[in-house]
Amino acid sequence: MNTIELTVNRRAVNASVEPRTSLADFLRDQRDLTGTHLGCEHGVCGACTLLLDGVPARSCITYAVSCDGADVTTIEGLDDDEIATELRAAFTREHALQCGYCTPGMLVSARDLVKRLSDADEQAIRVGMSGNLCRCTGYVGIVNAIKSVISARRARDIAGEPDAGRKLLGPVGSGHKAWTSANPTAAMAAPVEAASAIVPLEIPDFTPSTVLEQSFDVAHPPAKVFALFDDIAAVASCLPGASLTGTPTPARVEGAIRVKIGPISANFNGAARVESDPVTLSGRILGVGRDQRSRSTTQGEIRYRVLPLDNGAATRVELSIGYSLTGMLAQVGRSGLVRDLAARLIAEFAGNLDRRLSGGAGASAAPAAELNGISLVFGLLRERAVAFARRLSGKGGGPA
Amino acid sequence: MKPAPFAYERPRDLPAALAAMASTDGVTKIIAGGQSLGPMLNLRLVAPDLIVDIAGLAELKHVERSGDDLVIGACVTHADIEDGRIPDVTRGAMQRVAAAIAYRAVRNRGTVGGSLSHADPSADWVSALSALGATLTLRSATGTRQVAMKDFIVGALESVLASGEMIESVRVPMMAASARWGYAKACRKTGEFAHAIGAVLIDPDAGKARIVIGAVEAAPIVIDEALELFGGRISSDFGRKFDPRVADALLAKAGVTDAADRHIHVAVLRKAIAEAVK
Repeated sequence: MNTIELTVNRRAVNASVEPRTSLADFLRDQRDLTGTHLGCEHGVCGACTLLLDGVPARSCITYAVSCDGADVTTIEGLDDDEIATELRAAFTREHALQCGYCTPGMLVSARDLVKRLSDADEQAIRVGMSGNLCRCTGYVGIVNAIKSVISARRARDIAGEPDAGRKLLGPVGSGHKAWTSANPTAAMAAPVEAASAIVPLEIPDFTPSTVLEQSFDVAHPPAKVFALFDDIAAVASCLPGASLTGTPTPARVEGAIRVKIGPISANFNGAARVESDPVTLSGRILGVGRDQRSRSTTQGEIRYRVLPLDNGAATRVELSIGYSLTGMLAQVGRSGLVRDLAARLIAEFAGNLDRRLSGGAGASAAPAAELNGISLVFGLLRERAVAFARRLSGKGGGPA
Repeated sequence: MKPAPFAYERPRDLPAALAAMASTDGVTKIIAGGQSLGPMLNLRLVAPDLIVDIAGLAELKHVERSGDDLVIGACVTHADIEDGRIPDVTRGAMQRVAAAIAYRAVRNRGTVGGSLSHADPSADWVSALSALGATLTLRSATGTRQVAMKDFIVGALESVLASGEMIESVRVPMMAASARWGYAKACRKTGEFAHAIGAVLIDPDAGKARIVIGAVEAAPIVIDEALELFGGRISSDFGRKFDPRVADALLAKAGVTDAADRHIHVAVLRKAIAEAVK
């Protein structure tokens, strides 16, 4: 727990917070200031918008501990605020709310626009309010209300203030108190994963939600390449981040794939089965894996086909990679990203495969680096990460 | 939607921050404005053992002119740039880019350094600063190094930042008086991450053009000497000389296989070039 001192609605507050507690949760749960609403809790919907050092900020992705010394104003603190009073009257007049859930955030963002915009330009208001989502009334009444307040104030010769009076540099709410350190050691050992406990028993057939086609060439005859694909341990050694447990058989291979994409890492434990057809020099690998930490499950299928090139001196490997992902890591999909990634990963895999076929020690001696997997999971996860970032607050500025 | 527990440190200065990053065997993340990391923490896509909060460090909010260049501390926010709280050497280009990033509530906390560190290919600064020819200063406990912005991103969410290393500042060269700037992006919803970005810095007097095709779901395509896109020569009629087929070929070469996606990227680039003509 960390001790923080801050000003909330003009009252000095001392509190003890866990570092992971958002400013919104702190205000709602510890201060009973439930006017700050939580919608998406990842910076997209705007319901939690409040004033931090006098300007709007997202309280769901701002942690209370980082607001040590800050000046916080919630919707409750705007009762006597001149602009907010005018806005409330305008919202009532224009029917700018229905269920009211988005309204506190709307009023805070609207107040900021009333302060900053030089005139009641509808386009500027709509753009300015685009970070606050309303799901019932619609935006017409909201925009009209804001327009009317801006027009009225400008008519009274109250000029806009583009920077809303802020003069300091850096993230609002931060920089007031110099130094703190929270018991880094005692707190938080990450839960240890019990790998064996979560290996799925069944490897079911499935219909992939996304399928990618990729191919690569290697300078070895098709029969040799096809034989390698039958050697599960060899294929796994070319798969960056993959490790096998137990003795693999075509009917059941157990293992894990460790992946890390940007700040995200996951360890998918799972099982796969392999089918191959020597007549058509093709086959498929079907697998299922689960990452305990993110409670996400992936199913994947790699269909491969080996084709002769240069009269059988070389081989083209055609891959059809299909996957589905469920759980926390699976909220959005961006196939373009996965395709790009898969291309790079397959290049890596092809390189490893080529070295292996050439009898080089490289691929077999050390497991391939975990960062460059051909694995479906890897692609998926990265897709998640970026798609995910996209749903967030936008291209914002947080840290890596 | 609550983050997994983490320990938190707010170091007193930059050396202390670098020391804190190296102090644990576990996963350490830096947080500044938290507008990219916060959501990932809340969704538990990231579960670090320790978070080092650098948002308050004065060294990282320092802005200074260095010759013709402007050196911007990593913790300067998008809103700081949008509002003109820091000087400008780009004749308003950075101000306009900043003003269109996400939403005001995000811009009030989101930082330039944080956005770059996050390395999302669709983030505005990734493309804009590449086109402006910016250089980053990266600092670790062992020293500093300079990396050109165009070499910084290596893939989606992946940069050249090593473990224990952070962005200290961004050096932006002064834009020549004869240079023309254009920046365009495609978003289905205002404020969301772009599906395509075009950024161009064209100097007809010097016969030079740098173009960036960004938000390609990988490192942006940066062409330093983009003569080929304009029929082999940059002159005052560059707007009419733009050859979309070359842009399309660049995208295909970069692995953008979907023709519709390439079309959107080319259209957005054309828009950026049209803005530079004006």
